[in-house]
This record gives sequence, C-alpha cells and structure tokens, in this order.
Amino acid sequence: MKLISAFIFCGFVCGISQYIIEKTKFTPGHMNTLLVVIGCFLSGFKIYDKLILKFGAGATCPIMNFGHLLVTGASKMYDKYGFIGLFKGILENAGGGISIAIVSSFIIALIFKIKH
Amino acid sequence: MLFLYKTLKKENNNNMNNIEYDEIIKENIGKDNIFKNVFIAFFTGGLMGLFAQLLTDFFVNYYKININDAYFYTFCFFIIVGSILTGAGVFDKVLSICKCGLIVPSTGFANTMTSSAMDNKSEGFVKGIGANIFKLTGSIILYGVVFGIIFGFIRSII
Repeated sequence: MKLISAFIFCGFVCGISQYIIEKTKFTPGHMNTLLVVIGCFLSGFKIYDKLILKFGAGATCPIMNFGHLLVTGASKMYDKYGFIGLFKGILENAGGGISIAIVSSFIIALIFKIKH
Repeated sequence: MLFLYKTLKKENNNNMNNIEYDEIIKENIGKDNIFKNVFIAFFTGGLMGLFAQLLTDFFVNYYKININDAYFYTFCFFIIVGSILTGAGVFDKVLSICKCGLIVPSTGFANTMTSSAMDNKSEGFVKGIGANIFKLTGSIILYGVVFGIIFGFIRSII
C-alpha cells in the first residue's frame, strides 16, 4: 500500500512542476529553487512531517526534502543553543547531501569527458 | 516567495526581445503536447518514488538502520546515481523523454551540478571547475539557507 502512495505523491509533484514549466517560461533551475522554498515553507509549519509519515519515500525523494532537512537542522539546534543555533545547525542534516553532491560531481568531472 | 517570483519575472523579461519569435514558437508547439508531457512526467516521477520506497525498505530490513537514516541514504543514493549517469552521457537522452520526472527527484540536483562542472573543465581546476560548479545549484543552496533560517525559527516557536 505504501508503494502505491509513494508512486502517487512523487508523480503528482513531478506532474505539477512539468505543467508549470510548460505554461510559464521557468527553466528546471528555477523549478528546483521554487521546490526547495516550498519544502522549507511546508516544513516550517510541520506539514512535511505528516506527508513523510503518510507517503514514505515518495515524499523524501523529491528535492523538496532538501528544504525539510535544512529547516529541521536549524530548529533542532535553536532548541539547544538559542538564536545562534539557527546558524550553527542550518547545514547539520542537509550538509551531508551537499558534500556528497560536490565530491561525486568533482570526481565524475575528472573521470569523464563530454561527448558531442 | 513573492520576492523570488518578481526577480524571476525580471530575468525572463530581459530575454524576450522578439515578439515574432514567440509567435513562431506558439504555432509550432501544439496544445495536446502539454498533457502528454505531464502524463509522462507523472508516470516516470511515480516510478522514481516507487523505486525510492523499495530501496528504503531494503535498507531498513537488510542493514537494520533507523528509518530517518534510510530516507537520507536513499536521497544520497539518487545523487550519486544521477551524477554517474550524467558523466556517462545517458542522462540527457533519458531526460529529453522523461522531462520533469527526473528533474524533481534529487537526480536533477546532481545532474545540474555535474554538467556545469564538466562543461567548464577545459578552463582549468580553479577557474573552470571551481568557479562554475555552483553556477546553477548555487541558487538552490542560497535560497534554501535564507528561507531555511526563517522557517526554522518559525518551526521552533510554533
């Protein structure tokens, strides 16, 4: 049952963003930025936690999850250290994703050459 | 969010110089293409979500790790797969068919990063790869951090 709900939610997000790209002049870069901001918004009001409970990996697979990771790290450290914790913890959870993306893309760029 | 939308609109207006060019584009692109593309994006995106769920279940059952860690491993697995496929040159061919089905999952994030690093490889390590690796994904990190601090504060005080 969780497989079907993951399929539906992830497909729904992809379908809507494809519709926005077709209708407006957004590039995929704009769309990704918008989705991260929407993820931050949903996570700020604790809606995203419910979505993850309901749809499982279908909700954590889109780039919206990146915003959720940023917000949860910041709010967790705010409870611990006060105001300065916001800046300490903003990259606590999401930093892993950024580092892996940087390292893997650097290694791949060294190994492969562009094919035309 | 309004602020972001306004800046995007400004960027786009600078590029639209020719009205005739737009009309030619409108004539050539049919209306029924949109729904076909949306359906394809829905289907392929759904398959990605289904695969992510299968992978998460595998991590949880086989390696006996926490469910939140398993979600993060799946997220990172998609990033690594996306950058490897981009390097091999397969990703762009699949992307032209699936469109948003591969951009919205975290493979799209890896694809933009890797392709901007590979394109400028010939200019050297510092000026080429180092300067251009964040060319497109930098906006994701910038707005993610700025809005993340704001909404992280809101999440804590609610």
